[in-house]
Amino acid sequence: MPNPMVVLMVGVSVAALSLPVDSNAQNSSPGGWLVPNWERPPVTDVNRKPAPRRNLSGTWGPAGGPGAGTQAGGVQLKPNNGRPENQLPFTPHGLELYRSHKALEGIDAVLPAQDNDPRNRCEPLGVPRYNHYNVRLTQIFQDEYKVVILYHYDNRWRIIWTDGRDLPKLVDGGVEIAGEVRERRFFGYSVGRWVDDYTLEVQTVGTMPEDRVWLDSTGRPISDQARVTETFHRLDYDTLVWSEMIDDPKVYTRPWDTMKLSLRLHDPRTDVMEYYCSPGEQENYNRLFGSSAGGK
Amino acid sequence: MRSGRVIVSVALVGLLIPPPLSAHHGGAIFDTGKKVTLKGTVKEWIYSNPHCLLFLDVTGEDAQVAQWIVEGQAPNVIFPAGYRKDSFKPVDHVTVTVEPVKNGRPMGRILQAVLADGRTLGLAASPPPAAVAAPQP
Repeated sequence: MPNPMVVLMVGVSVAALSLPVDSNAQNSSPGGWLVPNWERPPVTDVNRKPAPRRNLSGTWGPAGGPGAGTQAGGVQLKPNNGRPENQLPFTPHGLELYRSHKALEGIDAVLPAQDNDPRNRCEPLGVPRYNHYNVRLTQIFQDEYKVVILYHYDNRWRIIWTDGRDLPKLVDGGVEIAGEVRERRFFGYSVGRWVDDYTLEVQTVGTMPEDRVWLDSTGRPISDQARVTETFHRLDYDTLVWSEMIDDPKVYTRPWDTMKLSLRLHDPRTDVMEYYCSPGEQENYNRLFGSSAGGK
Repeated sequence: MRSGRVIVSVALVGLLIPPPLSAHHGGAIFDTGKKVTLKGTVKEWIYSNPHCLLFLDVTGEDAQVAQWIVEGQAPNVIFPAGYRKDSFKPVDHVTVTVEPVKNGRPMGRILQAVLADGRTLGLAASPPPAAVAAPQP
């Protein structure tokens, strides 16, 4: 009969070996407060590991570096730089809205004294603008019912339901759920389904109207009639490709692609710094710098 | 106070010209491509949202002291470039290269900083994106 002590020791050893090994272990930081590592070697055929099934969890940062998801000049695939290929298919109402928006970025940027970006009042940006505003370290958690995205900017969170529920019906003033009209939301109502083991397709409706939110920092509009389609494709263990298309017949004459952003997995222990919009700090900044620097 | 010097140079498109930064004032207020190098004494460093602010006393060739206020992006944005809450301390003597504002006031944004201990930090913003295209699924 085997020695119970030996069995116990072998069991403990096997258990220890079977614990998930964190292959992201990276730069150690004093005291264990891990700082983001933007210098990891690229994913190649040599170090590529297979993607896990139906799993988007992780701390993700733009593969092109910390500033690659900023999109200050407009949505990633259509920067607002005046080039013909980046002109958007505005409806007359959409163009009117765009002209009424006084943005601090893009080809039609104004000085701070004239701007009317709701961001500068610390208003929630809403979906889809959170996808186009300083996408930096984005944390994703999930369980069997939902995927949760923690946006870095303004420490905001969003839920995508993956439990098979229906996408609400878009109606005037909100959405309809089980015969009831429900309110519009900054993050809308998001439902996801797995297209395959590595691709989650997400639909969002019921977002805020055009007098509350913008599409991007250059003042492109988005309305409450928008239907936002996102895909999250886990290309391999370390790479997630986040794509987005918007269909908003109130503002644009046809659907168009806004983003295809490649994200790189970071160590799950990475400390994500706060990145918030504080009206008090905003006011202080304007008093000390912004108002004078932007004045004539 | 030790005297500092103001060196103004105009650069054409160069590596230090920052990309659009999603600043709370936009890029339109800055004199893009122009660089001013300031040698001065730190008065205050505010490590805060939406932008960090550095107050610097700079003595000109005419012995007049001018207070410059120069900014970096938000703390989490400039952290990867090495900027910390204690990067600048009062009475530190530092050299800061900035892109000035267009209206002529002594203000700008930090392109590069040589700290009191001799370390050099780059653009007080996210570095320009690397040329990484999204992988094809």
